[in-house]
Amino acid sequence: MKRWVNIAIAIVFVMSLLIGCTSKDSSSEASKDGKTTITFFYRWPNEPYKSYFKSVIEEYEKENKNIKIEEVTALNDDYKQKANVILGSKNPPDVFFSWAGEYGQKFIRDGVALDLTKYYEDDTEWSSQLIESQVEFFKQNDKVYGVPLFTDSKVFVYNKEVFDKLGLKAPTTWSEFITVLDTIKKSGTTPLLLGNKAPWAAAHYVTALNQRMVPKAVLDKDHSYNQAAFTDPGYVQALEKLNELRPYMNENPNASAHDETRNLFLGGKAAVIFMETLELTFLKDASFKWDSFKVPTIEGAKGDQEGLIGAPEGFMVHSKSKHPDEAVKFLKFMMNKANGERLIKETGLASVVKGAVNSNSATEAEVKAMDMIIDSGNMAIWTDSALDTRIFKPYGDGVQALLGGTMTPEEVMKAVQDAAKQVKK
Amino acid sequence: MQRTRIVPILYIAPAIILMALFVYYPLVRNIVNGFYEWNPFTLDRSFVSVDHYVRLFKDPVFYTVLKNNLLYAIISVILQVGLGLVIAAILEDKIFRKFSTAFRTTYFLPVLISMTVIGILFSFIYNPEVGLLNSFLKTIGLEEWTRGWLGDPNTSIYSVIAVSQWQSIGYCVMLYVLAVQKIPSDLYEAATIDGAGKIRAFFSITVPQVKEMTFVLLIYTVTGSFLVFSEVYVLTQGGPSNSSQVFSTYLYQKAFIDNEPGYASSIANVILGITLIFYFVQNKFLKTGEE
Repeated sequence: MKRWVNIAIAIVFVMSLLIGCTSKDSSSEASKDGKTTITFFYRWPNEPYKSYFKSVIEEYEKENKNIKIEEVTALNDDYKQKANVILGSKNPPDVFFSWAGEYGQKFIRDGVALDLTKYYEDDTEWSSQLIESQVEFFKQNDKVYGVPLFTDSKVFVYNKEVFDKLGLKAPTTWSEFITVLDTIKKSGTTPLLLGNKAPWAAAHYVTALNQRMVPKAVLDKDHSYNQAAFTDPGYVQALEKLNELRPYMNENPNASAHDETRNLFLGGKAAVIFMETLELTFLKDASFKWDSFKVPTIEGAKGDQEGLIGAPEGFMVHSKSKHPDEAVKFLKFMMNKANGERLIKETGLASVVKGAVNSNSATEAEVKAMDMIIDSGNMAIWTDSALDTRIFKPYGDGVQALLGGTMTPEEVMKAVQDAAKQVKK
Repeated sequence: MQRTRIVPILYIAPAIILMALFVYYPLVRNIVNGFYEWNPFTLDRSFVSVDHYVRLFKDPVFYTVLKNNLLYAIISVILQVGLGLVIAAILEDKIFRKFSTAFRTTYFLPVLISMTVIGILFSFIYNPEVGLLNSFLKTIGLEEWTRGWLGDPNTSIYSVIAVSQWQSIGYCVMLYVLAVQKIPSDLYEAATIDGAGKIRAFFSITVPQVKEMTFVLLIYTVTGSFLVFSEVYVLTQGGPSNSSQVFSTYLYQKAFIDNEPGYASSIANVILGITLIFYFVQNKFLKTGEE
């Protein structure tokens, strides 16, 4: 008898293991209580963003009693990793976050993102309140595949007290910029901060300098899938310009993280830093007066001298979603003006809903940055998200080596060209 | 008779099924995956034969990675196994017995701290602007030695290895202390009567007596060095420009950031090959596991 008990226990053990391994069906079918479940996958498990999204979801569920929103979150790099796994799975999320640029284009090419053109056309009252230039980033072949949530650009922020003491004004041209940095350096203050431990930070400088140095048509071609060549001499010149800034930067840019340098700037340890507009909200803590200026124009260069850099980030609907209509409805709710105002107020992210960033919901600097983005005709997307990661890897690493003094601009571009060739093949 | 045979099999079945499902099956799948190329979203797999391996052996980063892992192994063996034994012997010496508990705790404490916490702690120490290390060097007048430790391609990997040593040496010391305590004290007494000094006694008695433990620790540190991930990932993420990249971080980079799962699989297979070679060599020459 005892033996049978033993066998039974062993079988139960084995079976429970096997059962534990079988996949649970968690698709977005209507659940027992008759509610439709929408899975929402985004990249903000951190505050203050988390509470913002939680409250938007709560409100939406209150208005739509028959819909339940299920959240899945992961932070930045973890998001990319998790996205690779779950967007390709059998039960993908209905709504998911995406960066603009190659990261999002890849989802469009591979048929992961649903074509939303119909929804944009059917409800113009809603779609016309979004800033058109930002929706462009989620298009491919004139079809829209995503809804931008917020937009972001980058400007030089400077410590006004340091500038005033030295009698300096915000520079508008490259030579003025170098003179300003030179004067600050002679006064004993660190002129420029760069935290390039993760290579995207210097890549943003590269984005801005490439925009100034390389003709737009060439740049667009090099940024499009399977067309990259990077043979224009402007790319090497852009890196040479970056090298000109090197003596004015903190000593070991590759050893500091960007947020560390931001804190140094906030502590008044340097005069200028290159900062994303969504970071302006951190400057509320600054004990000194500050202001911002655009990337200076470069005399005699062939690129666009007025353009900005930056891109929106937003959401896509999965092509395998069983409830695309409900998913889009949720996105529409998220993108109404009230929620846009709350977005900038509570998180500092500049909503792309027209008029959401206003004097009631945002600081003066944030409104100024938003106006600049709306006025700008040309926004060059960050090099790190515009390019295939296989091309950006040698580019970013090369710029790190350039700043460390172990590679020349020509060598960096050679490595990028080689990578571009390999990807094309 | 037959029944009695079934029962033991059923008892080990859970372990075998678990191993097969979570170790052997992925292992075989991974070897197959190394010959394919695909994209995580479309799953259209194309057979590329040994292309990934050809590319890998031409990849300059592969050699940086190999060099870094070998450095990791060599330095870890010298410091953790070599210096670890010296420290253990000193702690067990009559003069130090009184304080040895306090020292043992001090050495062992870092082993208990999570690697992530240590990583954050050391990124403060290494910070070029406000870090402890650079400030210390400046205070003692060695200003020319200051640098961005983790951001300088010449020092990044050594800075990471140093953190690892700091953390793991306590583990080796602890195990060696146990081994040294097991050595019969009459051996030392006899040696003293014969006129041997402490250093002679260390080399002639302690070292051969803890041989078994040395073998175990050798395998532990060498395989550990080839599988190291969190130290590098937390401190430098393999940068700047791949100078501190090791096998597992490169594999992670390729699989999850560059979206090249096929190529990543081939890297994983090379790691498997290398650790297997180490295992066989050690198994053959060291003949461990007697105790």
